[in-house]
Amino acid sequence: MLYLLLIFFPITIALSTFVLRRRTGLVIFIALGTVLTQLLIATQIPVDDPTRLLGVTLILSALSRTFLLVFLTLGGFAFVAAWHLPHGENFVPITLLILAQVGTVLLLQDPFITTLLLALTGLTAVLAIVDLPAGASVLVGTRAIAAALKYLVLMVVAAALMYVAFVLTDIFRPDELPGRISPARFILALLSVSFALRLALVPFHTWLTDLVDFAEPLVAGIVITLLNTTSLLVLMLVFQTFPTLLFESEVALSMMRLGAIVSAVVAGALALAPASLRHTLAYLVLYNGGMVFYGLASASPVGLAGAIFGALNQTVAVLLLFVSLGLLERPDGRAPSALRHDLLRRWPVAGAGLLAGGMALLGLPPLNGAVSHLLLYQAAAAKGWGELLPLLVATLFAGVGLARSVAAHLLGPGEEAVAAEPLLLGETELDRPAVRRLDPEPRSTAALTLLLLLICLGIGLYPQPILAMIDEAIRGLAFIRVL
Amino acid sequence: MQINWFIIGIGVTAAVVLLFRDWRLTVAALLLNYLASALFLAEQQFVPPDLAFLGRAISSLVLVKVITGFAVTMILGVTALTFEGEYGLESLDEFGLAELRRAARVAQRQQANAPFQLSDYVLPFWASVLALLASLTLPRVYPIAPTEASDFAWYWLALTGLLTLATASDLLKVGLGLLLCVSSIDLLYTAVVSAPQASGLNVVPVALLSLFNILLALAIAYLSGLLYGRLKTLELSELYKR
Repeated sequence: MLYLLLIFFPITIALSTFVLRRRTGLVIFIALGTVLTQLLIATQIPVDDPTRLLGVTLILSALSRTFLLVFLTLGGFAFVAAWHLPHGENFVPITLLILAQVGTVLLLQDPFITTLLLALTGLTAVLAIVDLPAGASVLVGTRAIAAALKYLVLMVVAAALMYVAFVLTDIFRPDELPGRISPARFILALLSVSFALRLALVPFHTWLTDLVDFAEPLVAGIVITLLNTTSLLVLMLVFQTFPTLLFESEVALSMMRLGAIVSAVVAGALALAPASLRHTLAYLVLYNGGMVFYGLASASPVGLAGAIFGALNQTVAVLLLFVSLGLLERPDGRAPSALRHDLLRRWPVAGAGLLAGGMALLGLPPLNGAVSHLLLYQAAAAKGWGELLPLLVATLFAGVGLARSVAAHLLGPGEEAVAAEPLLLGETELDRPAVRRLDPEPRSTAALTLLLLLICLGIGLYPQPILAMIDEAIRGLAFIRVL
Repeated sequence: MQINWFIIGIGVTAAVVLLFRDWRLTVAALLLNYLASALFLAEQQFVPPDLAFLGRAISSLVLVKVITGFAVTMILGVTALTFEGEYGLESLDEFGLAELRRAARVAQRQQANAPFQLSDYVLPFWASVLALLASLTLPRVYPIAPTEASDFAWYWLALTGLLTLATASDLLKVGLGLLLCVSSIDLLYTAVVSAPQASGLNVVPVALLSLFNILLALAIAYLSGLLYGRLKTLELSELYKR
């Protein structure tokens, strides 16, 4: 019953909030209530106690429960942020639907159903990308439609590849058909490409940069935190379900590590180029995605701990980044086309949030990414300098990119620092435009930003409980024991 | 040698989707493709028949595939037929309305200046030849499904789907390419997983596959409607131009 509630309760509420979608305040309160109820349900479901429904096994592992609780909490945070930040008319119902889908994926073991549900989350996210605020007097942007279309195509292709791979695993017998291309390699290749598409690893990353560029920040935040992290967990489940794939093909694992390194280095290098704030953030997310994927592909206990911890950190840091971005992009009395260099001075909480989120993705202490990055470096060091050095270079690139972007957009001189021009002949003080008095940052969103920042700091300073939980979860993973 | 007409049906209809541009032709071809796939599954009897229909025993799975095909093509067909409607204009400001008028003028001019050109079909034609060669070769080189016919069918659907995606010039055709790819994995799943040495078909993935097909068609219809409402055309080149 609890499993069914966890799956269907948010879906029914999503339908209700869709009907009420124009009453934003009410809908947000309903969604917050739903998330709280879901949190309660998730804590009531016993861990590792499988149940059968229509021939499908549903089970909640300790790791899945942790991520489910994190996702629900972050969903709640996103609803709070939606109170003041711009978002589409259907943001709340779509997010509830995504939470239901993601929750179901975390409960499932069947690879076919998981693949289809992941693909369905992609379809749901497409609706959010092209969503306009209620009563908007503008047309949906063509680039937003293009970003949605790109996302749709890539997610369906990823699902198709993943599905073919799982069909092959269904009939795959180790050491069968000698002389032919090993099915294990073929399956791993299909899985690598499909998950690279879902996780936006270079060169399959363009959907993520487009998403960050053209969708609302809250939508980008939700898609990256919920969907990308869930895909990573599914990949872990695949390794757990089919460990033979890994020890049949050590070369494929090396290729996956190489792909992760290339992804992190290229994303770091792209972050170096002068670009908009959104673009730089997208590259930072890509860099971190590459690092996390490296940990998973290293297939070692340390690397896997780094990957799981990194994925957890990424969810918090990315939401912090995008909530801060939404705040920074609020109208501040200047022309929309005006270049802004003093955002930290103008919006101090949001500026600090963006800085902290970026630093967390880079793994700089004392923020939450530091420990996970250390674990990833440790896993790379075990493989040799050839793998550690590129990862360090990638971090350096991304760090310089963040510093350059922060200097350009956040730390520039304030408008008031510019010396006032002397009065012209016949001009009086009254002829001058009045000094702009800006509203401060909205309290609830500023408080949320500070809370997320404190969570990042708290995890960074005291990571032991999470590390202990991750260690416990990893001990239960068969493929790590086998390797 | 016995001719398998259902395989020919799958092949011809997928080729029509890949080659032609007129949505009336391609959406109709997609419907026939779904029907041919369903009849192929019935003929191959991957799943034991459990229904009597017109004096023949068929599996309920075949019926599900037919209903899915009808639903998908209905969604796309109805969307394409109602493109001309104008929705949500009341909330637009003057700039938005002016933008729409300008887009309508541009689209009208383009339609008037775009006569039939044979060169538009050269790339899809050679792509279909390539797909045919690959689909004939791959079942021998890398057989996956229990029969060569089903291997040809899923390889052909997957390749024509991917090549339709690669050569598509409008959004609806991109959608048709995606639907062909999904049909391909649907056929592969049914053929392989129902084999004696495999794990066996489960009702939930089969139902989810059909649901996914329908929701994908809805997503394509929604995006097509948005794009047409915005630019009065489905051409992808216009989407990236502005």
